[in-house]
Amino acid sequence: MNTGRIMAIFEKDLKEFTRNMMLFTTILLPIFLAFMYSRMGDGEAALPAMLVYLIVGVAFSAILCSGIMTMMAEENEKNTLRGLIQSPASMMDILIGKSLVVTLMTAASLTAAFLLMNAALEWSVASIGALLLLALFFLNVGIAVGLTVDSVATTSVYLLPIMFIFGFTPMVEIVVPEPDHFVRQITDYLPLYQNIAIHDGETVVPLLILAAWTLASFLYVTWAFRKRMSDEAK
Amino acid sequence: MKSVISVEGLKKQFDNEEALKDISFEVGKGEIFGLLGPSGSGKTTTIKILTGELEPSGGLVEVLGYQHGAFKKSEYVRSLGILSDNSSLYERLTVKDNLALFRKLYNTEQSKVDQVLKDVGLEKHINKRVKDLSKGMKQRILLCKAVLHEPAVLFLDEPTSALDPVTTDSIHDMLLKIKARGTTIMLTTHNMDEATVLCDTVAFLNEGIIIDNGSPDALRQSYKTNDMHITYDDGRTKQISLSPENKVQLEAALFDTNVVNMKSDYPTLGEVFKKVTGKELV
Ligand SMILES: Nc1ncnc2c1ncn2[C@@H]1O[C@H](COP(=O)(O)OP(=O)(O)OP(=O)(O)O)[C@@H](O)[C@H]1O
Ligand SMILES: [Mg+2]
Repeated sequence: MNTGRIMAIFEKDLKEFTRNMMLFTTILLPIFLAFMYSRMGDGEAALPAMLVYLIVGVAFSAILCSGIMTMMAEENEKNTLRGLIQSPASMMDILIGKSLVVTLMTAASLTAAFLLMNAALEWSVASIGALLLLALFFLNVGIAVGLTVDSVATTSVYLLPIMFIFGFTPMVEIVVPEPDHFVRQITDYLPLYQNIAIHDGETVVPLLILAAWTLASFLYVTWAFRKRMSDEAK
Repeated sequence: MKSVISVEGLKKQFDNEEALKDISFEVGKGEIFGLLGPSGSGKTTTIKILTGELEPSGGLVEVLGYQHGAFKKSEYVRSLGILSDNSSLYERLTVKDNLALFRKLYNTEQSKVDQVLKDVGLEKHINKRVKDLSKGMKQRILLCKAVLHEPAVLFLDEPTSALDPVTTDSIHDMLLKIKARGTTIMLTTHNMDEATVLCDTVAFLNEGIIIDNGSPDALRQSYKTNDMHITYDDGRTKQISLSPENKVQLEAALFDTNVVNMKSDYPTLGEVFKKVTGKELV
């Protein structure tokens, strides 16, 4: 790892991100949602935590996860990744540089979204920690898929389920309104619901479940990384 | 003098085919070495092994004193310049941004970038996006990218295929300049004229085996015959050996108005290739 090389990749990918319409427009998604929600109701009452976390889920899945996945897949598809690997940049430099770009973009988009909506949430240490775990989860999944696929077209095969299951989790309450339905019992264990539970005051159990998801995502990305590196050496 | 690239008994087995059967050659410092062969003969595979992208299945491979097991080392990677058959640039970014990335990755000075851009005559285009460049321009930028850190060895896989003659010439000029700085260059090509102009040594590769190698002139010399080929205006051809007993016949042909062409048999490199493999090189 080398800071100079990470920054070189970061600068390059920041330009790529902002010049790629498909990626750049994802930034607008959470902002747009925040704008819509803030117009609903009487405009005075604070947005329910569920909607705030839906926006977080949209930002993490559509910008953080999809962004890095698409950037990796494109490098693979266009054969530019080979050029980077044949330079002094290591795979770690490349992944960190790209992660910084999508993290920055996600943070910018969420900040704008939070400013737009009346999210009178109190951010406890536990809920901030949980937010970071959730971000790591999405980043890891995005990197792992990015290391596995070789074209931008195949990313959507992974991306749609990731967005619907992990990103838009609270939507399930509209599709399946009965709280005791087995689907709802299962979705209660999905990561985003842990953040909502932590926000509502629970800590230990949801934090453990969320940590388990993040750990699983680390195992997934490590597996994908190892596999990729051994394929490189054939 | 010790060779910069030394390959001995190199083999490469893919799942269901033996792409390289027995490859041996040496390249000295500052030389341009050309690997010539038809499509599928194993040129790209050989280059990929030397640049560490593929592992050999057998044989000895050494470049700059590094054995193939050390080809992933950063000092090795740093001393190579590579232009592969599918190298590409970031299309959305400008020429300047593309080269800036690699300048920073290799930690070299801006003056080197300015110099190589000037060498290929593209200094006026630095602010253009790569997607707006012509194919020949892109190839020249890729070459700039491959050499801006002044590598000790440069690997080029078909550097001029599908380019127009003017661009091809400018790439040749650039390569000769790079060679003059002492860089060792290994390239692959289908183009015999290119090999004749550029290479100090060439090797003919066919179906994973090197059939012959040497300097282009020496190869042409060794396959020349003593025959004079004569073509008549009605399409007839005749071969006469250049020996004293045929003096009268040869002189007669010289003054025969029906003769449209007389040519000694000094084969081009392409003709030599055809002689040894029975294949055309296209
Ligand atoms: N990764 C691979 N897996 C299986 N077979 C391969 C692989 N790469 C190359 N080959 C086979 O090895 C042989 C040599 O291929 P190679 O690409 O080295 O040829 P080449 O001389 O570069 O041809 P061209 O002039 O068309 O570029 C071919 O028969 C090809 O099908
Ligand atoms: Mg090839």
